[in-house]
Amino acid sequence: MERRKFLGLGVFAAAAALAPITLSAEDYRKTKPAVWTSHTVEDAIAKMYGTGAMIEKGVTVTSPDVAANGGAVPVDFSSDIAAKSVAVFQDANPESAVCVFTLTENSVIDFAIKIKMKQSGTITVVVEGRDGKLYSGKKTLSVALGGCEG
Amino acid sequence: MEIKAKIKDDIVTVKAMAKHPMLTYDVAKKQGVEANFITHISATVNNKVVLDMSTSQFLSKNPIFKFSFKGAAAGDKITMTWVDLLGATETTDAVIK
Repeated sequence: MERRKFLGLGVFAAAAALAPITLSAEDYRKTKPAVWTSHTVEDAIAKMYGTGAMIEKGVTVTSPDVAANGGAVPVDFSSDIAAKSVAVFQDANPESAVCVFTLTENSVIDFAIKIKMKQSGTITVVVEGRDGKLYSGKKTLSVALGGCEG
Repeated sequence: MEIKAKIKDDIVTVKAMAKHPMLTYDVAKKQGVEANFITHISATVNNKVVLDMSTSQFLSKNPIFKFSFKGAAAGDKITMTWVDLLGATETTDAVIK
C-alpha cells in the first residue's frame, strides 16, 4: 500500500473512534430552551415533544403521599417501555421541568431522584417510546414544608 | 461526586450524589447572588454513554440520584461529569463492583 493512502486511512479510523462520544449526548437545555421556562406541565410537554397526546399507562411513579421536607422529595419511576427519552415535570414550582433523560439501548428505566417542591402538587413522568407515542405516569402528593427556600 | 456502582444479574445500578447548592432563581434573588444549579449530568462506561440527563433547578440541594443500565461488567470504570449554569464542571471515576 502506498504511504499516502495508508496515512489517509489512519485519519479516518481516528475520526470514527471519536465520533460516538461527540454524537451521543444531547443537552436539552441548549436544544430546547423553551421547555425549561414553561410555567405549566402541559406547556412544557408540548414544547418538549410537540404534542400533548399521552397514553396514561406503563409508567410507575412512586413517592410518599406526604412529603415532610419539600426540599428533597424522593421520586422513583420505572417502566418497561422501549423508550428514547424520559422527562419529569411537576406543577408545584414556578417552572415545570425537572429533568430529561436521554436513553440509549443499554438504559433501564428505573430511576430515583430527589426534587424540590414549593407546595403540594402532581409529579408527571413522560416516557417517549421508540414507537413515537408518549406514555405518562402521575403521582399527586402533599408537601408539609415547602422546599424552594434552599 | 460520590458514586456507588454495583452489578447484579447483568444490570448495573448506580447511586450518586453531586455536591452542589442548586440555587434556584427565587433563592438566589433573596440572597442577592447569582442563580446556579447543575444543568447536565452524564456518565460513560467503556466510551459508551449510560446516563445523559439535562436538569433544572428543582433537583434537591446536593442531588442524589439512582439509575440503571445493562452492557457492562464488574471491574469496568464508570466516569461521571456534571456541568452547572456558570460553566463549572466536575468529573469523577468509580469502579463497578
